Amino acid sequence: MLPDQRLHAVLLALCLTWPAPALALDLGTVTSQLALRKSGEARFTEQRFVSGLDAPLNASGTLSFAAPDRFARVTTEPRAESMEVQGNTLILKRGGRSRQMTLDALPEVTALIEALRGTLTGNAQTLERHFKIRVQGNPAHWTLTMVPRDERLATQVRELKITGMAGDLRVVELWLAGGDRSVMSIDPPLADK
Amino acid sequence: MTRRTSFVLLVWLALVLAAVGQILRTPFTADLSAFLPANPDAKQRVLIEQMQSGLPARTLLIGIEGGSSQERAQASRALAARMRASTLFEQVHNGEIDAWSQVGAFLVEHRYVLSPGIEAQRFTVPGLRDAIGETLSLLGTPAGIAIKPLLERDPTGETMRIGEALLPTSAPRSEHGVWVSRQAGRALLVAVSQAPGADLDAQKAAIAQVRQSFAGAAPQGLALLISGAPVFGVDSRAQIEREVHWLAMAGTALMSGLLLLAFASLWAVALALLPVATGVLAGIVAVSLVFGSVHGITLGFGTTLIGEAVDYAIYFLIQARAGGAAHWLRTGWPTVRLGLLTSICGFAALMFSGFPGLAQLGVFSVAGLLGAALFTRLVMPELMPHGARGTGLRQPLGRLAAWAVGWMPRLRWPLLALGAASALLLVQRADLWSAQLSSLSPISKHALELDASLRADLSAGDARTLVVVQGEDLQAVLRNAEAAAAKLDALAERGAIGGYDSVARWLPSLAVQQQRQTSLPEADALRRALHEATRGLPVAAARLGPFLADVEQARQRAPVNVETLRGAGLSPILDAMLLQRKDGSWASLLPLQPMHDKIDAAAVRAALQGLPDAQFIEIGAELARLHHRYLEQAQGQALVGALGVVLLIAATLRSTRRVLAVCQPLLLSVLLTMGLLALLDVPLGILHLVGMLLVVAVGSNYALFFDMMQRDAAAGRPADHDTLASLLLASLTTMLSFGLIAMSSIPALSAIGRVVALGSFLALVLSAALAPRPRAAAG
Repeated sequence: MLPDQRLHAVLLALCLTWPAPALALDLGTVTSQLALRKSGEARFTEQRFVSGLDAPLNASGTLSFAAPDRFARVTTEPRAESMEVQGNTLILKRGGRSRQMTLDALPEVTALIEALRGTLTGNAQTLERHFKIRVQGNPAHWTLTMVPRDERLATQVRELKITGMAGDLRVVELWLAGGDRSVMSIDPPLADK
Repeated sequence: MTRRTSFVLLVWLALVLAAVGQILRTPFTADLSAFLPANPDAKQRVLIEQMQSGLPARTLLIGIEGGSSQERAQASRALAARMRASTLFEQVHNGEIDAWSQVGAFLVEHRYVLSPGIEAQRFTVPGLRDAIGETLSLLGTPAGIAIKPLLERDPTGETMRIGEALLPTSAPRSEHGVWVSRQAGRALLVAVSQAPGADLDAQKAAIAQVRQSFAGAAPQGLALLISGAPVFGVDSRAQIEREVHWLAMAGTALMSGLLLLAFASLWAVALALLPVATGVLAGIVAVSLVFGSVHGITLGFGTTLIGEAVDYAIYFLIQARAGGAAHWLRTGWPTVRLGLLTSICGFAALMFSGFPGLAQLGVFSVAGLLGAALFTRLVMPELMPHGARGTGLRQPLGRLAAWAVGWMPRLRWPLLALGAASALLLVQRADLWSAQLSSLSPISKHALELDASLRADLSAGDARTLVVVQGEDLQAVLRNAEAAAAKLDALAERGAIGGYDSVARWLPSLAVQQQRQTSLPEADALRRALHEATRGLPVAAARLGPFLADVEQARQRAPVNVETLRGAGLSPILDAMLLQRKDGSWASLLPLQPMHDKIDAAAVRAALQGLPDAQFIEIGAELARLHHRYLEQAQGQALVGALGVVLLIAATLRSTRRVLAVCQPLLLSVLLTMGLLALLDVPLGILHLVGMLLVVAVGSNYALFFDMMQRDAAAGRPADHDTLASLLLASLTTMLSFGLIAMSSIPALSAIGRVVALGSFLALVLSAALAPRPRAAAG
């Protein structure tokens, strides 16, 4: 552990053991808890509510990340699919085919990926760059409500809500502009690899 | 004026007029493709097509710098809008997503012949279930927004399948809705002009249009950067034009000054310049007649002819003084003629070069020298039968020359030692001939850096690594493209390449289209399979009526052809990747995209092994290979030329000892010149080689002159100061004219200039230093 990380950890420990303060929670506090974890992997289940379909769509798989810039979402049910991000490269695999793309050429996709990658790696700066963020709750149980800054993305994605407990992500909710919605629940904890 | 004189002059004037007439009709070119082979193999042919008229030859790379990122984005949109409105450009891209709605409609309409997913299995119960499942897996995510409206028509996701393959692997960074640089604060645009790349006037107009549009569209403080092959072509031409004018003027002024010093007579100076002018005219006309056009570099090189051709006049004007024209024709002319023949012998080797650029230099020089010599032989004696009257500074020049000739032999052993050292140095330098083809190009380092930086920003579209497929007709080439694509898909799957583009994605071969069409089931069969397949899925078969209707319609629809694509506004895609040659055959380009900035060339070559009609081309490597072959060929030709010079000398002198005496200084001057260049770490290229050949050709004149002097001295007729002065003057003019082009900013010219200025000086010194002593010669 580097000296400044140690300091971070001590400060954080102080915050957590102190009698719950009545101060408003800020983004930095949330992300610095998250930043302590450098990598992790967890199972997720997802439900998507799409207008016009007879039933919600279900999916499950694993999420994994490694600081500073690796992130992968591997869906195993109902079909094998994956989305893997490393640095500026995005690799999509569906139906036995794979496509490689440059992330910063696709600003909308970048913002959505940063919402997850930035939260998992605790990168407040990146999150602030792509979203207007409202922070609620306390360090032990928090919610980030994020609205895209990118105009084009805002016409597609209305809002993202990420709920977590201390350094763990628990639920990611996404509202699309048309009213469709998805809820991804992440099994605790995101175990260190 | 005698009747004979009038007749000779009239004939000469008529020839000059005819020459001017021909020159006025001659187009002048400046592109590097003249330095590519005339009879290329399949790979080189593609290379040349690309350089001359392919997409790269029409593509402008544009950057906007300064200001804030918002200002740059706004300027990018405004500039692109103005350029699109100007009709000079076939395509203008700046990262705005707008042109895709039309493309999208085309893809949706023809999806059942375009989608690589279409096969009979796809319309079975498990096939449909799988395909619909894949589509559903996207719904409710941001990626599903675009496909949701199409669900009822395209539940199997064919549009998605096509679009997925068309997504570029690497693309520029996007910010505020436009392309920007990853490295610098810079907005990026790419434009493809309507006019062919070889039409430099049209390219110049297109570039001016960009500047004008920018001036009207951008606020203060923003700067415009433009690069790309058209800019290089236009700038090179302008630079070559400037240089040729400058060189011609400086050369003429310098020669005139020198001649004025030597003759102190304006009439003599004017007369001495006439053979030069005649030679230059003859050279241009010969090139124009043989090649149909004249390259700017040929003209620039032609200015050195001033230095060569003026020598003939100098020899005549000085040497005819003693005994008149008739005497000179007997005594002086044979030496000049031998010198002329050796020079021609050297240049003739170039004429047979497989590269039009070099062959032009050869034809130009041979015709030019012949023209100048014939003028000296036939017209000069009529105009000034007794040589030049004035003496000017010739007496002191002659005394200087006599003193130098007497003193030089002391340098014999030091020079021989240097020659040996030079030979040793050259033997050790394996990398001596390492200059690249790009060293011929007059494009500045700064301009090349800007180009590389813009290309890096744009990441794709540089089309320097590609697979080319050929075919005797359109269908054959499309089938070959599909066969190559199958191999490339496998390579992309295992990461050897990032991806590739292919025209067959937009225009599949008829065979593939028919195969896809016949795999579409009849309406009833599809209805039954769909009913079964959607059981348990959240989308009911009843909702998918539009899908059944579209498939039924696709079964009847005529196949997609070139006209369909052009009608849908997709001509740019066709023109970029598909070309029909003059002989009716077709070729298609499949540009490869790198995986993490790398393309596994060995893997691509291995994968294409079984496809004789598909070739893998790396343009950079191919150019290097081309230059290497070019150099080898030219080295062979230079050797043949040099051998010709020696044989000619041998045939004339008929004495082994004299031949050796003449060849010794030539060999040594080439050795020393190369040694000096090696010492200075100058990578040698094709033009240095041409320079060496010229050193042999020019130097042989000096060596022969000394041989003649020794013979005359042995016969009791020692050379007078005037003769020595004419030699010194002639060599001065040569050195000065090549010294001038040595200072040119066009690398091709300065390379030749440096070698010849240095080499001809050494040849003169060595001829004097190594000349056999008169007494020994007499014995």
